[in-house]
Amino acid sequence: MNLPRLLLSTTVALALGVAVALGVHSATLLSLLTQAAIHAIFALGVGLLLRQNGMVSFGHALFFGAAGYVVAILLRVKAVPAETAMLLAVLGSTAFAFLIGLVIVRVPGIAFGMLTLAIGQMAYLGASRSRGLTGGADGISVEWPSALFGMPTATLLQPWAMLLLAWSVLVLVLLMLALLLRGHFGALTEATRDNEERARFIGIRTLLPRATVYALSAGITSLAGVLAALNTGFVSPESLHWSLSGVALMMVVVGGTRVLWGPALGAAVYFLAKDLLGDHAQHWMAIFGVALIVVIVFAPTGLSGLLLRLVRASPGGAAPRPGV
Amino acid sequence: MLIHLFNGLVHGTLLIVMCSGLALIYGLRRVVNFAHGSLYMLGAYLGYSIALHSNFWVALLVAPALMALLGALLDRWGFRLLQDRDPLSVVLVTFGLLLVIEDFVQTVWGKSNLSIATPATLAFPVDLLGTQVPAYRLAVIALGAAVALGLTLWLRFSRAGLYVRAASTDPVTTAMQGVNTDALSAFVVGLGTALAGLAGVVAAPFLSLSPSMSSDVIIDSFIVVVVGGLGSLAGAFVAAMLLGLLQAFGAVWLPEASVLLPFMLMVGVLLWKPEGFAGSRT
Repeated sequence: MNLPRLLLSTTVALALGVAVALGVHSATLLSLLTQAAIHAIFALGVGLLLRQNGMVSFGHALFFGAAGYVVAILLRVKAVPAETAMLLAVLGSTAFAFLIGLVIVRVPGIAFGMLTLAIGQMAYLGASRSRGLTGGADGISVEWPSALFGMPTATLLQPWAMLLLAWSVLVLVLLMLALLLRGHFGALTEATRDNEERARFIGIRTLLPRATVYALSAGITSLAGVLAALNTGFVSPESLHWSLSGVALMMVVVGGTRVLWGPALGAAVYFLAKDLLGDHAQHWMAIFGVALIVVIVFAPTGLSGLLLRLVRASPGGAAPRPGV
Repeated sequence: MLIHLFNGLVHGTLLIVMCSGLALIYGLRRVVNFAHGSLYMLGAYLGYSIALHSNFWVALLVAPALMALLGALLDRWGFRLLQDRDPLSVVLVTFGLLLVIEDFVQTVWGKSNLSIATPATLAFPVDLLGTQVPAYRLAVIALGAAVALGLTLWLRFSRAGLYVRAASTDPVTTAMQGVNTDALSAFVVGLGTALAGLAGVVAAPFLSLSPSMSSDVIIDSFIVVVVGGLGSLAGAFVAAMLLGLLQAFGAVWLPEASVLLPFMLMVGVLLWKPEGFAGSRT
């Protein structure tokens, strides 16, 4: 997508967010959409890792939950202003991910996924068993100050404002990724993903770009974690649990990674389906498990891949273009 | 001191039984079975129901047999149909399976903790070098050792074992030599699943049955197979024992850091050898 078109779609998307946030009055629907937007950011992080590194993380909840915990703990000990705490949570997760990334992206293939699962689960066990700072299995509430970024927090926590915030962050993250990946960095990481050995032969140092993608994907996920902490005002070990990582991965697979917005589509579908399931929601694990298997077997490119194929197949449809 | 060593051995043996199944399936089908922990849990719960209606020894035989059947079906209607797909998507299929099995177990047996009584024939303490240990746990160690030895001998000296080793190295060439690799895979996946079920039934009398038992064990198992080297039985045996002992002693000496110890072991080994103790393939 060329630059003017990219900026145009960003503007349209942002305007759409404003329209929905101001036009929808049902608080339940607004909060459902907010949840979907926050998890869409989460899934974008996981999807980025799969798309640019070809790696599957089963432990990204680590960054989602840890960002929330960092904010909560920093606010509790009153070390820094809330805005700085949010920034530190994102930067800290990114830096931490870069460091462990330097070690674990060297692990080939599926062993990487198993490692991320193990690391994430350690964090879950650590947070739920240590009573002091993290409040153990009960979790801790986040004590937000009365004003954030010069705005009263109460206003910010209104359903429509939260949706607008989460949606705008989602759109801006997409824009940032689209801009970043159309350049040198995108080409470099794709070459490394497709054949690391050949990439090394032509003189690319593959470790740093791979670790950078891992760090970036963790940073995006931690952004979602900070938003979730703002939205719910609460952090618990559940936000670190592997099942949450699994749900995010499910969104990525269902949405597809051919296009950047695929994982976000997956998140939207997930939350809509969960809402529609209503009474059957206690069996959501089995239902989504079956859905996951069906999508992988019959639509390996995910829903976004299906959509693109439909658009291309229909007469007068948009000309094929490489992903956003 | 001795009791911790003993408990470490018990935990290590359980992990050996679990991880040998995981390693066998990986060796033949190149599938990391994320549902392996759930199969362990399903085996334990099946054992619970069977033991309720008859006794522990029947459960010890029947539950793994049922699991073997399930494993063979899983291979026939799952892994075999997906064998040309990229390994990542097969892994995700097993992840979907994990969700289905977890939901099934919670629906059938509920979320509360259950347990199987220790069989009466083994419910007595044994004096081991001055320390009292339950005879049942001693039997667990013996069973684990028998499984490890049996698998090693089978793979090393039997014709089927030779085929398994050949197919693990190169399934296509092995099939061209006239080995029915599909039947072999069904057998091996069945065996691996049965071992998961066996571990579940064996663990049930001293670890309670709960919906979280699968995720606890799968994390440990993954650490074991990654540290030991994917697909390597010997590597998994060593790593399982190491992890079992580390957890037993860690709980005593470094109680605050004990949950982090396996993680540190894993990072340490991977820094030193990214492919694990015995791994060469990816």
